[in-house]
Amino acid sequence: MVDLAAAGPFLDADGMKALGAAIAITVTGLASAWAEKEIGTAAIGAMAENEGLFGKGLILTVIPETIVIFGLVVALLINSA
Amino acid sequence: MSRPKEMTRAVIVGHKSILNNTIDSLHETNLFHIEDFVEDESGFKISKPLKNAEEVSKKLVKIRSIANYLGIVKKEPVVQKTDSVLRDLDSKLDELDRTIATKTEAIAQLDNELKDLDSQKKEILPYLSINLDFDYYRGYDSLKVFAGTVKGSLDESQISSITKAYEMYFDSQSKSVVLFVAKNDADRVYELLQGLGFRDLRVPERGGVPSDLLRFIEQKEVEVTKKIESLKVDLESLKVKYSDFILSSDEILSIESQKAELPLRIATSANAFIIEGWTPTENYDKVVSAVNSATNGKAYVTSLEIDEEEEDHVPVEYNNSKIAAPMQQIMDLYSRPKYTELDPSSVILFTFPLMYGLILGDIGYALILGLMALAIRKAVKSDAVKPLMDILIYCQISTFIFGIIYGEFLGFPLASLQTEHGLVPGLIPGWNTIILFNGLGGEEFMFPIHRTHMVMTMIGVTVVIGLLQLNLGYLLGFANISRHHGIKHAVLEKGSWLIIQLGAIVAAIGYLGGNSGLTYIGAGILVLGIVMLTIGEGIKGPIELPSLMGNALSYSRIIAVGLSSIYIASTVNDIAFKMIWADHSKINFLAVAAIIVFILGHGLNTVLSIIAPGLHALRLQYVEFFGKFYEGGGRKYNPFGYIRKYTEE
Repeated sequence: MVDLAAAGPFLDADGMKALGAAIAITVTGLASAWAEKEIGTAAIGAMAENEGLFGKGLILTVIPETIVIFGLVVALLINSA
Repeated sequence: MSRPKEMTRAVIVGHKSILNNTIDSLHETNLFHIEDFVEDESGFKISKPLKNAEEVSKKLVKIRSIANYLGIVKKEPVVQKTDSVLRDLDSKLDELDRTIATKTEAIAQLDNELKDLDSQKKEILPYLSINLDFDYYRGYDSLKVFAGTVKGSLDESQISSITKAYEMYFDSQSKSVVLFVAKNDADRVYELLQGLGFRDLRVPERGGVPSDLLRFIEQKEVEVTKKIESLKVDLESLKVKYSDFILSSDEILSIESQKAELPLRIATSANAFIIEGWTPTENYDKVVSAVNSATNGKAYVTSLEIDEEEEDHVPVEYNNSKIAAPMQQIMDLYSRPKYTELDPSSVILFTFPLMYGLILGDIGYALILGLMALAIRKAVKSDAVKPLMDILIYCQISTFIFGIIYGEFLGFPLASLQTEHGLVPGLIPGWNTIILFNGLGGEEFMFPIHRTHMVMTMIGVTVVIGLLQLNLGYLLGFANISRHHGIKHAVLEKGSWLIIQLGAIVAAIGYLGGNSGLTYIGAGILVLGIVMLTIGEGIKGPIELPSLMGNALSYSRIIAVGLSSIYIASTVNDIAFKMIWADHSKINFLAVAAIIVFILGHGLNTVLSIIAPGLHALRLQYVEFFGKFYEGGGRKYNPFGYIRKYTEE
């Protein structure tokens, strides 16, 4: 068993906070990127067939960006807590 | 707030003898959206194109292929008289066609010749260092000639060990070899050569010394290239000379072909025709009088009732003021409103620039982008670019205002700020930030708003702004539904959302204020709202409840994207100024580099400042706001006619 208190500066409160914020941003960023990639390729495919779908494609592509924004809000909340 | 233009459904009936006049008059007014006729059991059939259709479309194809070949682009119109263009059309078109055909053929021939010369050149090159007349390579009875390249090096001794009767030319650099040996020894010499990786080369068929031949070929190449260039110059001058003619005749032929093909879209019987379509109600009288005067009143024009089922298919024409009109581009990008819907262009006119300004909020970028948009608007006359620039200008006005509120100029804070680590100076000396009241998360609310120092507060503010816009959406939805399905539906479907929010607010006030009675009342209102929503929208309603919170939180992107822009700008500033302060006693390389970094960095950020805030502001409208009330999917009102640019009657 590792004694958490004696584990040194790696696991102090500020470090944990920073780590938590980093995880929040990283994971949501990856999630957004993945979703946008999938939607973006499909949207480009659709646009190649019909250029009029640009507006729809654009909106669908930016929809998952909300995920990373939520991640950012969570990170900011952790940081200011 | 506006609705699309009111439309009238009209029918024009007449004898076939007046069909041409009717078509001309409808085309001239450019106000009648013709509904394609679908054949049914009524006995009416679609008609054949007018007689001149085939000829017109042939000419049109010809003129467009010529325009395409010459690379003629749409430009500032030089207006020409239709009849004068028509008079010369055939002769000029033939002449143009013939000249272009002969010139392109000549160019193709010369191109071939050039390729031929090039391959001849390649044949000669390996022999260049040996410089022996090619006539010496052939015509022997007792001699064998080897001409080619080897991989390694070749020594006289290697050959002389086989035979004394030989003559060898070898270039050690290009490894080309020409070897004359007696026929009797040829086989053994060939074996030796093969061991050295010998590869045969073709001997050019013409005689002459390689260096002379090469000079001759190169001279020829120059001549041919010159000829091709002069032909291309000729084509270019054709383009200059005929571009007005091509543009105007393209226009005339397009108009003729539109008219000639109209019978394919209307109903006809043996002797009569029916044209059905739509026109804005305000223009109905104009259409009637135009048709009547063109046909001496022989055509019968009447308006029809629109029943409710048809309303969804009415073509939609926007009805906006000049100021709100550019926002129609943003609407079209998403989807044109239905005929029965509110057209939110005039709402977007405020909300879109508002969100954009909230995100960017920088005086410097507002000035740069605003001036750029004004310049482009002046320089480019295109009808597609102008509204986009108008939208950009609206956005920059809003950005400028928020730039003052945020106190930012190219990422520099304008007002100085007292922090824990001392005073952060601003650009304007003597302007200090005033602290107004306490914000969220231990931050203070100040003016000008230093976004980097009050992130939590700004997240709260942006979410409230979001909730306001969402509720505006619910109100618009309320108006839409109450108009078409009655007030009861509107209250259940959209009003319930307002009640739910009211309940949540009352409950929250009660909870925070420690008043449990108020909390219960709030919870009661909340439940009432949810019940109403379930009645209004079924089970789908309550399932969508959490999306309200998601939508509201989504508005926090306003501060998130804004911060990213600030951080890029201030990083650029930091780098540039550190470089300048490194040694400011004299102007040196570092100072120049600092200026370049400053300009390039802010240039990049300017480009990002159009894309990122624009896209996110747009998304907030499309996804969060429109989701609350907008359906879209209206058909575009596309009147039969043509807007002449290059010709006049």
